[in-house]
Amino acid sequence: MAGPHEILGMARVLGIGTTEFLSRYTDNGGTTLRSEEDGRCVFLRPSGCRVHPRRPLVCRLYPLGRSTNERGEERFAVFPAQPDCGAVVGRDGTVSSFLESQGVGPYLEWSRRYGELYRRMIGLLDRLDVVGRVDTAAADAPAEAGQAGSGAAGSGQEPGRAPLSSWQDIDASLAEYCTTKGIAVPAEIDEAIALHLRAMEEWLGDLEARLGPVGTGSNPSSQA
Amino acid sequence: MGELKDQKTVSRRDILKLAGTAAAFCTSFGFLHGSQSGGVVQDKHIVQDKHLQARWQQAEFKWYKGNELLSSVPFPAKVLKHLQSDETAVIEIKLFRTGQMFKNLGTIEAKH
Repeated sequence: MAGPHEILGMARVLGIGTTEFLSRYTDNGGTTLRSEEDGRCVFLRPSGCRVHPRRPLVCRLYPLGRSTNERGEERFAVFPAQPDCGAVVGRDGTVSSFLESQGVGPYLEWSRRYGELYRRMIGLLDRLDVVGRVDTAAADAPAEAGQAGSGAAGSGQEPGRAPLSSWQDIDASLAEYCTTKGIAVPAEIDEAIALHLRAMEEWLGDLEARLGPVGTGSNPSSQA
Repeated sequence: MGELKDQKTVSRRDILKLAGTAAAFCTSFGFLHGSQSGGVVQDKHIVQDKHLQARWQQAEFKWYKGNELLSSVPFPAKVLKHLQSDETAVIEIKLFRTGQMFKNLGTIEAKH
Protein backbone atom coordinates (compact mmCIF):
# COMPACT_ATOMS: atom_id res chain seq x y z
CA MET A 1 0.00 0.00 0.00
CA ALA A 2 1.18 3.51 -0.69
CA GLY A 3 -0.73 6.75 -0.29
CA PRO A 4 -0.16 9.78 -2.50
CA HIS A 5 2.00 11.49 0.12
CA GLU A 6 4.16 8.37 0.42
CA ILE A 7 4.50 8.13 -3.34
CA LEU A 8 5.65 11.75 -3.39
CA GLY A 9 8.30 11.06 -0.76
CA MET A 10 9.63 7.96 -2.50
CA ALA A 11 9.65 9.72 -5.87
CA ARG A 12 11.77 12.52 -4.41
CA VAL A 13 14.27 10.03 -3.02
CA LEU A 14 14.62 8.57 -6.50
CA GLY A 15 14.79 12.01 -8.07
CA ILE A 16 11.74 11.55 -10.27
CA GLY A 17 8.22 12.94 -10.42
CA THR A 18 5.15 11.21 -9.04
CA THR A 19 3.74 10.67 -12.52
CA GLU A 20 6.79 8.65 -13.51
CA PHE A 21 6.86 6.90 -10.14
CA LEU A 22 3.25 5.77 -10.46
CA SER A 23 3.92 4.45 -13.94
CA ARG A 24 7.14 2.62 -13.13
CA TYR A 25 6.73 1.39 -9.59
CA THR A 26 3.07 0.85 -8.78
CA ASP A 27 0.31 -1.62 -9.59
CA ASN A 28 -3.40 -1.90 -8.93
CA GLY A 29 -4.25 1.54 -10.18
CA GLY A 30 -1.33 3.20 -8.48
CA THR A 31 -2.30 1.98 -5.03
CA THR A 32 0.35 -0.64 -4.32
CA LEU A 33 4.07 -0.86 -4.85
CA ARG A 34 5.15 -3.24 -7.54
CA SER A 35 6.61 -6.58 -6.52
CA GLU A 36 9.20 -8.77 -8.14
CA GLU A 37 8.19 -12.25 -9.29
CA ASP A 38 9.31 -13.79 -6.01
CA GLY A 39 7.19 -11.33 -4.06
CA ARG A 40 9.97 -8.99 -3.02
CA CYS A 41 9.26 -5.29 -3.04
CA VAL A 42 10.58 -3.61 -6.17
CA PHE A 43 12.74 -1.38 -4.00
CA LEU A 44 14.38 -4.11 -1.97
CA ARG A 45 18.02 -4.62 -2.89
CA PRO A 46 20.73 -6.72 -1.23
CA SER A 47 22.03 -3.50 0.25
CA GLY A 48 18.61 -2.59 1.59
CA CYS A 49 15.65 -0.43 0.68
CA ARG A 50 16.21 2.07 -2.12
CA VAL A 51 13.69 4.50 -0.67
CA HIS A 52 14.38 3.94 3.01
CA PRO A 53 14.49 7.62 4.04
CA ARG A 54 10.92 8.04 2.78
CA ARG A 55 9.63 4.49 3.16
CA PRO A 56 5.86 4.21 3.60
CA LEU A 57 4.12 3.91 6.93
CA VAL A 58 3.48 0.19 6.53
CA CYS A 59 7.23 -0.37 6.19
CA ARG A 60 8.01 1.86 9.15
CA LEU A 61 5.54 -0.04 11.29
CA TYR A 62 6.82 -3.52 10.44
CA PRO A 63 6.76 -5.89 12.27
CA LEU A 64 3.78 -4.09 13.73
CA GLY A 65 0.49 -3.86 11.92
CA ARG A 66 -2.04 -1.15 12.68
CA SER A 67 -5.79 -1.15 12.47
CA THR A 68 -8.55 1.12 13.63
CA ASN A 69 -12.12 0.23 14.34
CA GLU A 70 -15.24 2.18 13.47
CA ARG A 71 -14.79 4.30 16.58
CA GLY A 72 -11.30 5.30 15.55
CA GLU A 73 -9.68 3.19 18.25
CA GLU A 74 -6.24 2.16 17.19
CA ARG A 75 -4.73 -1.27 17.65
CA PHE A 76 -1.34 -2.69 16.92
CA ALA A 77 -0.34 -6.26 16.39
CA VAL A 78 2.83 -8.14 15.59
CA PHE A 79 3.14 -9.78 12.21
CA PRO A 80 4.90 -13.14 12.01
CA ALA A 81 8.55 -12.65 11.14
CA GLN A 82 9.44 -13.10 7.49
CA PRO A 83 12.17 -15.71 7.01
CA ASP A 84 14.28 -13.40 4.85
CA CYS A 85 13.87 -10.33 7.00
CA GLY A 86 17.14 -9.24 8.52
CA ALA A 87 15.58 -6.94 11.07
CA VAL A 88 16.23 -7.60 14.73
CA VAL A 89 12.98 -7.50 16.65
CA GLY A 90 12.89 -7.22 20.39
CA ARG A 91 9.95 -7.61 22.70
CA ASP A 92 10.99 -5.45 25.59
CA GLY A 93 9.84 -2.11 24.19
CA THR A 94 6.50 -0.41 24.01
CA VAL A 95 4.40 0.37 20.98
CA SER A 96 4.84 4.10 21.41
CA SER A 97 8.60 3.88 21.85
CA PHE A 98 8.83 1.77 18.72
CA LEU A 99 6.68 4.20 16.74
CA GLU A 100 8.84 7.09 17.89
CA SER A 101 12.00 5.29 16.87
CA GLN A 102 10.62 4.80 13.37
CA GLY A 103 9.52 8.39 12.89
CA VAL A 104 5.93 7.46 12.16
CA GLY A 105 4.37 10.53 13.77
CA PRO A 106 3.90 12.59 10.60
CA TYR A 107 2.81 9.52 8.66
CA LEU A 108 0.10 8.69 11.18
CA GLU A 109 -1.10 12.28 11.08
CA TRP A 110 -1.20 12.30 7.27
CA SER A 111 -2.98 8.96 7.30
CA ARG A 112 -5.52 10.40 9.74
CA ARG A 113 -6.11 13.46 7.57
CA TYR A 114 -6.44 11.48 4.35
CA GLY A 115 -8.75 9.19 6.30
CA GLU A 116 -10.98 12.16 7.09
CA LEU A 117 -11.12 12.95 3.39
CA TYR A 118 -11.95 9.34 2.64
CA ARG A 119 -14.89 9.41 5.04
CA ARG A 120 -16.16 12.56 3.36
CA MET A 121 -15.91 10.80 -0.01
CA ILE A 122 -17.86 7.82 1.28
CA GLY A 123 -20.41 10.20 2.74
CA LEU A 124 -20.78 11.96 -0.59
CA LEU A 125 -21.11 8.71 -2.48
CA ASP A 126 -23.76 7.63 -0.03
CA ARG A 127 -25.66 10.88 -0.53
CA LEU A 128 -25.33 10.61 -4.30
CA ASP A 129 -27.32 7.43 -4.25
CA VAL A 130 -30.35 9.53 -5.13
CA VAL A 131 -32.20 9.31 -8.43
CA GLY A 132 -31.99 12.50 -10.45
CA ARG A 133 -28.86 13.98 -8.98
CA VAL A 134 -26.63 12.93 -11.84
CA ASP A 135 -26.18 15.44 -14.62
CA THR A 136 -26.74 13.18 -17.60
CA ALA A 137 -25.90 16.00 -19.99
CA ALA A 138 -22.31 15.61 -18.89
CA ALA A 139 -22.35 11.90 -19.50
CA ASP A 140 -20.26 12.26 -22.60
CA ALA A 141 -17.47 13.94 -20.70
CA PRO A 142 -14.46 11.73 -20.16
CA ALA A 143 -14.83 9.86 -16.93
CA GLU A 144 -11.76 9.91 -14.76
CA ALA A 145 -12.18 6.42 -13.45
CA GLY A 146 -12.46 5.12 -16.96
CA GLN A 147 -9.56 7.02 -18.43
CA ALA A 148 -6.60 4.74 -18.44
CA GLY A 149 -3.54 6.88 -18.33
CA SER A 150 -5.32 10.10 -19.08
CA GLY A 151 -5.30 13.47 -17.43
CA ALA A 152 -2.90 14.19 -14.67
CA ALA A 153 -1.48 10.72 -14.66
CA GLY A 154 -0.09 11.06 -18.14
CA SER A 155 -0.79 8.81 -21.07
CA GLY A 156 0.47 5.64 -22.59
CA GLN A 157 0.36 3.58 -19.45
CA GLU A 158 -0.52 -0.07 -19.47
CA PRO A 159 -4.10 -0.91 -18.56
CA GLY A 160 -4.47 -1.34 -14.82
CA ARG A 161 -1.34 0.64 -14.15
CA ALA A 162 -2.90 4.01 -14.60
CA PRO A 163 -3.85 5.61 -11.29
CA LEU A 164 -7.44 5.14 -10.22
CA SER A 165 -7.56 8.83 -9.43
CA SER A 166 -5.55 11.84 -10.56
CA TRP A 167 -5.36 12.84 -6.88
CA GLN A 168 -2.85 10.06 -6.37
CA ASP A 169 -0.42 11.96 -8.58
CA ILE A 170 0.54 14.83 -6.30
CA ASP A 171 2.93 16.52 -8.74
CA ALA A 172 0.34 16.63 -11.50
CA SER A 173 -2.62 17.51 -9.32
CA LEU A 174 -0.69 20.27 -7.53
CA ALA A 175 0.57 21.66 -10.83
CA GLU A 176 -3.03 21.96 -11.96
CA TYR A 177 -4.23 23.35 -8.63
CA CYS A 178 -1.43 25.90 -8.35
CA THR A 179 -1.97 27.07 -11.90
CA THR A 180 -5.64 27.60 -11.15
CA LYS A 181 -4.84 29.46 -7.94
CA GLY A 182 -1.90 31.38 -9.36
CA ILE A 183 0.48 30.18 -6.69
CA ALA A 184 3.83 28.47 -6.79
CA VAL A 185 4.09 24.71 -6.46
CA PRO A 186 5.76 23.93 -3.13
CA ALA A 187 9.24 22.52 -3.39
CA GLU A 188 9.27 20.89 0.03
CA ILE A 189 7.60 17.52 0.47
CA ASP A 190 5.74 18.41 3.64
CA GLU A 191 4.43 21.64 2.13
CA ALA A 192 3.32 19.79 -1.00
CA ILE A 193 1.43 17.24 1.09
CA ALA A 194 -0.24 19.98 3.10
CA LEU A 195 -1.32 21.75 -0.09
CA HIS A 196 -2.51 18.47 -1.60
CA LEU A 197 -4.70 17.90 1.44
CA ARG A 198 -6.01 21.45 1.17
CA ALA A 199 -6.76 21.06 -2.54
CA MET A 200 -8.65 17.85 -1.87
CA GLU A 201 -10.57 19.46 0.98
CA GLU A 202 -11.62 22.26 -1.36
CA TRP A 203 -12.64 19.76 -4.03
CA LEU A 204 -14.79 17.82 -1.58
CA GLY A 205 -16.13 21.06 -0.14
CA ASP A 206 -17.29 22.04 -3.61
CA LEU A 207 -19.03 18.73 -4.09
CA GLU A 208 -20.63 18.89 -0.65
CA ALA A 209 -21.85 22.41 -1.35
CA ARG A 210 -23.45 21.25 -4.59
CA LEU A 211 -25.35 18.56 -2.79
CA GLY A 212 -26.56 20.95 -0.12
CA PRO A 213 -26.81 20.38 3.61
CA VAL A 214 -26.74 16.89 4.93
CA GLY A 215 -30.33 15.79 5.23
CA THR A 216 -31.95 13.44 7.57
CA GLY A 217 -30.60 10.50 5.64
CA SER A 218 -27.81 8.27 6.63
CA ASN A 219 -24.81 9.58 8.47
CA PRO A 220 -21.82 9.46 6.14
CA SER A 221 -19.42 8.64 8.90
CA SER A 222 -21.45 5.61 9.86
CA GLN A 223 -21.30 4.34 6.34
CA ALA A 224 -17.58 4.45 5.94
CA MET B 1 -9.67 20.54 -9.59
CA GLY B 2 -13.31 19.83 -8.97
CA GLU B 3 -14.81 22.68 -10.96
CA LEU B 4 -18.55 22.22 -11.12
CA LYS B 5 -20.54 24.17 -13.65
CA ASP B 6 -24.01 23.38 -12.45
CA GLN B 7 -25.04 24.42 -8.98
CA LYS B 8 -27.79 21.81 -8.87
CA THR B 9 -26.12 18.73 -10.17
CA VAL B 10 -23.02 16.68 -9.91
CA SER B 11 -21.68 15.38 -13.17
CA ARG B 12 -20.97 11.80 -14.04
CA ARG B 13 -17.32 12.76 -14.31
CA ASP B 14 -17.35 14.13 -10.76
CA ILE B 15 -18.99 10.99 -9.43
CA LEU B 16 -16.54 8.73 -11.18
CA LYS B 17 -13.63 10.80 -9.96
CA LEU B 18 -15.05 10.62 -6.45
CA ALA B 19 -15.56 6.87 -6.67
CA GLY B 20 -12.12 6.36 -8.19
CA THR B 21 -10.45 8.41 -5.49
CA ALA B 22 -12.35 6.63 -2.73
CA ALA B 23 -11.39 3.26 -4.22
CA ALA B 24 -7.76 4.34 -4.53
CA PHE B 25 -7.66 5.54 -0.93
CA CYS B 26 -9.34 2.36 0.22
CA THR B 27 -6.45 0.34 -1.14
CA SER B 28 -3.64 2.84 -0.65
CA PHE B 29 -4.37 3.38 3.01
CA GLY B 30 -6.28 0.26 3.89
CA PHE B 31 -9.33 2.35 4.74
CA LEU B 32 -11.52 -0.70 4.77
CA HIS B 33 -13.92 0.58 7.34
CA GLY B 34 -13.27 4.29 6.98
CA SER B 35 -12.26 4.44 10.58
CA GLN B 36 -8.90 6.12 10.58
CA SER B 37 -9.87 9.12 12.66
CA GLY B 38 -8.94 9.69 16.23
CA GLY B 39 -7.20 7.03 18.17
CA VAL B 40 -4.44 7.37 20.67
CA VAL B 41 -1.33 5.30 20.54
CA GLN B 42 -1.56 2.77 23.28
CA ASP B 43 1.55 2.72 25.37
CA LYS B 44 1.37 -0.94 26.08
CA HIS B 45 3.89 -3.64 25.59
CA ILE B 46 4.04 -5.21 22.17
CA VAL B 47 2.04 -8.38 22.32
CA GLN B 48 0.94 -10.92 19.78
CA ASP B 49 -2.52 -10.08 18.55
CA LYS B 50 -4.24 -12.97 16.82
CA HIS B 51 -7.14 -10.85 15.77
CA LEU B 52 -5.60 -8.15 13.65
CA GLN B 53 -8.44 -6.67 11.66
CA ALA B 54 -7.17 -6.68 8.13
CA ARG B 55 -8.86 -7.79 4.95
CA TRP B 56 -7.05 -10.07 2.62
CA GLN B 57 -7.85 -12.08 -0.45
CA GLN B 58 -5.16 -14.67 -0.70
CA ALA B 59 -3.09 -16.74 1.68
CA GLU B 60 -0.04 -18.80 0.88
CA PHE B 61 2.32 -21.25 2.45
CA LYS B 62 5.90 -20.39 1.62
CA TRP B 63 9.04 -22.42 2.11
CA TYR B 64 12.42 -20.75 2.22
CA LYS B 65 15.98 -21.95 2.14
CA GLY B 66 17.73 -19.00 3.63
CA ASN B 67 16.65 -16.14 1.40
CA GLU B 68 15.68 -18.41 -1.45
CA LEU B 69 12.01 -19.09 -1.97
CA LEU B 70 11.73 -22.81 -2.58
CA SER B 71 8.01 -23.14 -3.02
CA SER B 72 4.78 -21.28 -2.55
CA VAL B 73 1.37 -22.87 -2.35
CA PRO B 74 -1.94 -21.06 -1.94
CA PHE B 75 -4.30 -22.06 0.85
CA PRO B 76 -6.96 -24.52 -0.30
CA ALA B 77 -10.21 -22.81 -1.27
CA LYS B 78 -12.07 -24.53 1.57
CA VAL B 79 -9.64 -23.18 4.14
CA LEU B 80 -9.63 -19.74 2.54
CA LYS B 81 -13.42 -19.56 2.69
CA HIS B 82 -13.38 -20.64 6.29
CA LEU B 83 -10.85 -18.00 7.29
CA GLN B 84 -12.53 -15.26 5.30
CA SER B 85 -15.74 -15.90 7.18
CA ASP B 86 -13.93 -14.60 10.26
CA GLU B 87 -13.47 -18.02 11.77
CA THR B 88 -10.46 -19.28 13.62
CA ALA B 89 -8.37 -21.96 11.97
CA VAL B 90 -5.66 -24.18 13.35
CA ILE B 91 -2.64 -25.15 11.31
CA GLU B 92 -0.48 -28.01 12.48
CA ILE B 93 2.83 -28.96 10.94
CA LYS B 94 3.48 -32.62 11.55
CA LEU B 95 6.13 -34.98 10.27
CA PHE B 96 5.21 -38.60 9.58
CA ARG B 97 7.20 -41.75 9.05
CA THR B 98 5.67 -44.96 7.83
CA GLY B 99 2.24 -43.57 8.47
CA GLN B 100 2.91 -42.56 12.04
CA MET B 101 3.59 -39.10 13.32
CA PHE B 102 6.91 -38.79 15.01
CA LYS B 103 7.15 -35.04 15.38
CA ASN B 104 4.84 -32.04 15.64
CA LEU B 105 6.73 -28.97 14.53
CA GLY B 106 4.15 -26.61 15.86
CA THR B 107 0.59 -25.42 15.92
CA ILE B 108 -0.64 -22.04 14.75
CA GLU B 109 -4.05 -20.87 15.76
CA ALA B 110 -5.14 -17.80 13.89
CA LYS B 111 -8.10 -15.76 12.92
CA HIS B 112 -7.76 -13.51 9.90
